[in-house]
Amino acid sequence: MIAQEAQYRDWMLAALMGDAGAYRMLLAGLTRHLRSYYARRLDSGAAEDAVQETLIAIHTRRATYDPQLPFTAWVYGIARYKLIDEYRRHKRRATVPLDEAGDLFGHDEATDAIARRDVSKLLDKLTPAKRQLVKDIKLDGVSVADAAKRTGLSESAVKVTVHRAIKSLGEDLADDRRGDADR
Amino acid sequence: MQTDDLIAQLSLRLEPVKNGAVTRLLMGAIVAGLIGSAALMLLVLGMRHDIAAAILSFGMWSKLAYTFALAAFGFWLVERAGRPGADMAKPTLLLALPLLAIALLAAVQLAAPDADMPVLVFGHSSRVCAFLVTLTALPTLAATFWALRRLAPTRLTLAGAGAGLFAGAAGAFVYSFHCTESSAPFIAIWYSLGIALTTAIGAVLGPRLLRW
Repeated sequence: MIAQEAQYRDWMLAALMGDAGAYRMLLAGLTRHLRSYYARRLDSGAAEDAVQETLIAIHTRRATYDPQLPFTAWVYGIARYKLIDEYRRHKRRATVPLDEAGDLFGHDEATDAIARRDVSKLLDKLTPAKRQLVKDIKLDGVSVADAAKRTGLSESAVKVTVHRAIKSLGEDLADDRRGDADR
Repeated sequence: MQTDDLIAQLSLRLEPVKNGAVTRLLMGAIVAGLIGSAALMLLVLGMRHDIAAAILSFGMWSKLAYTFALAAFGFWLVERAGRPGADMAKPTLLLALPLLAIALLAAVQLAAPDADMPVLVFGHSSRVCAFLVTLTALPTLAATFWALRRLAPTRLTLAGAGAGLFAGAAGAFVYSFHCTESSAPFIAIWYSLGIALTTAIGAVLGPRLLRW
């Protein structure tokens, strides 16, 4: 069961009876999840358009929500449909897993920002050269061959550097946790 | 437009939704579609002449029961298909019941000691039956698609197939009033083939016509 289900469902049921205040809170809440969902899958301009299209779809098709069924699954069904629609429009072939409703509601803009901040704080512990390599390969999806060309290192040197950097970050994290537990 | 402004606008124009709005929309469309299918059958094919006697026969009832059951589960499938996040497994599984029943009845009739297999299987209209069932189904198929477009189908091939199955079964129900065949093997094969054909048409048209 998704954490927001009860609250969102209550707002939706009130909105279906005509409660504009509940409806506004519902749409504002959903927008935070939708922004995060599309930002992770589309480029930024398309992502905000997709958010608005989904809000309009939720509005015009709101009669299709069956109160017997989970509200979050209904919203997720629409969000996923609009994502596939966006891929199709750009002739991108993509498979979108059927059941990720938890993914939509597991993230919102706030948790995304915290995750980004945590990652960048962690990366700050590395030397600038290593940090760049880890960012390129692990976060931005640059290939090992390209990174090797850019830095002048051999491919195996790049792999070893990244591997060691990740390992040392992992050890730092483990130390931090142990520190927290001791306190 | 800013997303916040959009939210403000949408909630400003909020109107309450009546209970059962989806069912009413589907029902209205389907009644219109069935009238179209019935008119097509009466005007193009014609009612069977011995309808008064036939309406009490076992053959007629087995046709009507089989196609009605398929149409009922098909309707449920369409209603689910129009709602995002709804599970279609239950109505799909239930379709097995009428299929099993007609297969069983066909087997019993074929196993009878005096069974005349070619007559039971091919009757006198096996060449045209499936096509005429599909033809009769077309107005209902169009009406079902019309209604489904106003709902929110998210799996368009599946939704189209569901609409095709419902329309095919409803078309076969209407066609039963024209067709004079009454053997279970005939119904199990040729009626089902016509329904399958309509289902396939719906599945192909779904992704093209049901986008919203």
